[in-house]
Amino acid sequence: MKSMINRFGGYLMVAATAALFTGCASTGVHNPSGVPVTEMRPDERGFVAGTGVESQDLVAVTDKMARGILSIPLVQQAQGTPRIVLDPVKNETRFPINKDIFLTRIRAQLNEKAAGKVLFLARDRMAALEKERDLKISGQVTSSADPHVVEFKGADFFLTGTLQGLTTRTSAGTSDYILYAFQLIDARTSDIIWESSAEIKKQGLEDAAYR
Amino acid sequence: MKKLLLAGLLCVPLWFTGCATVDQGPPILLTGDILVDGPNAIAHGHARDKVLWEYRTAVGAMRAGNYGLAKGYLDDALTAIGGVYGKDATAKEARSYFHGEEKKKFIGEPYERVMAYYYRGILYWMDGEPDNARACFKSAQIEDSSAEQQYNSDYILLDYLDGLATVKQSGDGSDALNRVIKLRSPYPKPPAYDPRANVLFFLEFGQGPTKYATGSYQEELRFRVTPSRVKSAVVRVEDQALALGPYDDLDFQATTRGGRVMDHVLANKAVFKTTTDIVGTAAIASGAILAATDHSDAGLGIGLGLVAAGVVSKIISSATTPAADTRSWDNLPHYLSFAALRLAPGQHTATVEFRDPTGYTLPNLTKTITLNVPADPHDVVVYVSDRSQTPQTR
Repeated sequence: MKSMINRFGGYLMVAATAALFTGCASTGVHNPSGVPVTEMRPDERGFVAGTGVESQDLVAVTDKMARGILSIPLVQQAQGTPRIVLDPVKNETRFPINKDIFLTRIRAQLNEKAAGKVLFLARDRMAALEKERDLKISGQVTSSADPHVVEFKGADFFLTGTLQGLTTRTSAGTSDYILYAFQLIDARTSDIIWESSAEIKKQGLEDAAYR
Repeated sequence: MKKLLLAGLLCVPLWFTGCATVDQGPPILLTGDILVDGPNAIAHGHARDKVLWEYRTAVGAMRAGNYGLAKGYLDDALTAIGGVYGKDATAKEARSYFHGEEKKKFIGEPYERVMAYYYRGILYWMDGEPDNARACFKSAQIEDSSAEQQYNSDYILLDYLDGLATVKQSGDGSDALNRVIKLRSPYPKPPAYDPRANVLFFLEFGQGPTKYATGSYQEELRFRVTPSRVKSAVVRVEDQALALGPYDDLDFQATTRGGRVMDHVLANKAVFKTTTDIVGTAAIASGAILAATDHSDAGLGIGLGLVAAGVVSKIISSATTPAADTRSWDNLPHYLSFAALRLAPGQHTATVEFRDPTGYTLPNLTKTITLNVPADPHDVVVYVSDRSQTPQTR
């Protein structure tokens, strides 16, 4: 009898001790020491992801568009250097985004890699440029050319785009398809001289606790 | 041996006390002022409640006219909503037998997520970005798509504003307007779009839904709806007076949400808790009887074993937590309304009166707004709640 009680007591203590550790492990703080900063390439999918527009999409889409613009015959064989003005992208998706970021990256890619094959006009800086010209005209600052002569260039092309999306949400999850379409429009004739698109579809399902 | 047994028994309460200390969050001293409590709770409270406090603080900031502050909180909250896919450690914990649902990171029920997008949409429109505002209204309608079949994506204003934003960008908003016409609603529908309307009033009034729990173990989530003292509003700008009723009702939206997957999880937890409790009681009773009546060594051993198993079963039952998550975005409105007016460039004074169900104007709720309408085609966006500060300038 005594040996049975001894054995039983031993089991109880082992079980209770195991429970002590398993219980606390399950209620403890996750990542108590934090997660160190992880540097990632902008074209790779991070461990924090949604079904919306993300950096890897931006990089993939804008790389494709920049390559496409450089291969346009009208740009390759142009007599002078074509001047391009950026016209804001239209966002028709369900994701609020900074629309300028697409055109900014395309412009930066072209300026980096095209080496003057195309030039962009800084229309978003017109207020500052006009102010500088007025200072020159009034003689408040020096000028290397006659400031009365209009030298602000007109655009040969407009670069713009549209983001459109389709969303499906069921008990199986959420699916988001986004079509990124970009166009180069002839400013004189309104001809669309080039257009290219990229499609990205993402699906995800949240934990049952959120459904 | 007795010491050994005592040590073993001491470990059992340790199990609970040890875990309880890990679970306790830092105490947040509440003052009743959301613009004090909210930032304090976001900075020092539980990480799992951060989005809840961001929601509450954002709407508080909007009512105080601090739209910049509201934007920051809503952007952070919407990032949490949009990134909820896949594995989530807190959600997994909430589904486990031994943790309540409130252990999960709060993102709210669909009507709460909808409102986060709705408010952000208003703020985007205020900033002259109707396309991003439209994106928010679309996402909000998607958040409501998990409601019961006949009630999914049935917010009148979300579709209406989606179409209006399209019209404002020289698009065709007729698809969205047709959806509005087809939606079932107990309230009158908004009028056809006026593309030249340049002052947009986003109105809200009444107290929105809150949550409570029922059931043996508080495992059933319920919504408490409070009758609203304000039932309609009148917008007056010079010689124009526009009587407005609700277009959307958040109490209706909360209560037509339909069953949740989590309800099944909580129901299973409740069954488990009941079963382990019954099994524990039966094992202790039968073990005690056996040990007392059977004088053989084997009988005593089995009896004590049954008692021990019963105690463990009772402990498991006691540790099982089927309680539903009743954390609520508790400063939401009951009703949403909207008006679009056409005003000449220049300064105007608008008043918004709120009326009770009998049509009586509640004098202490009237808001005064100074409108500076620009000559360019940008819209002036006015957000007015019956709890907004007054006067305000837009």
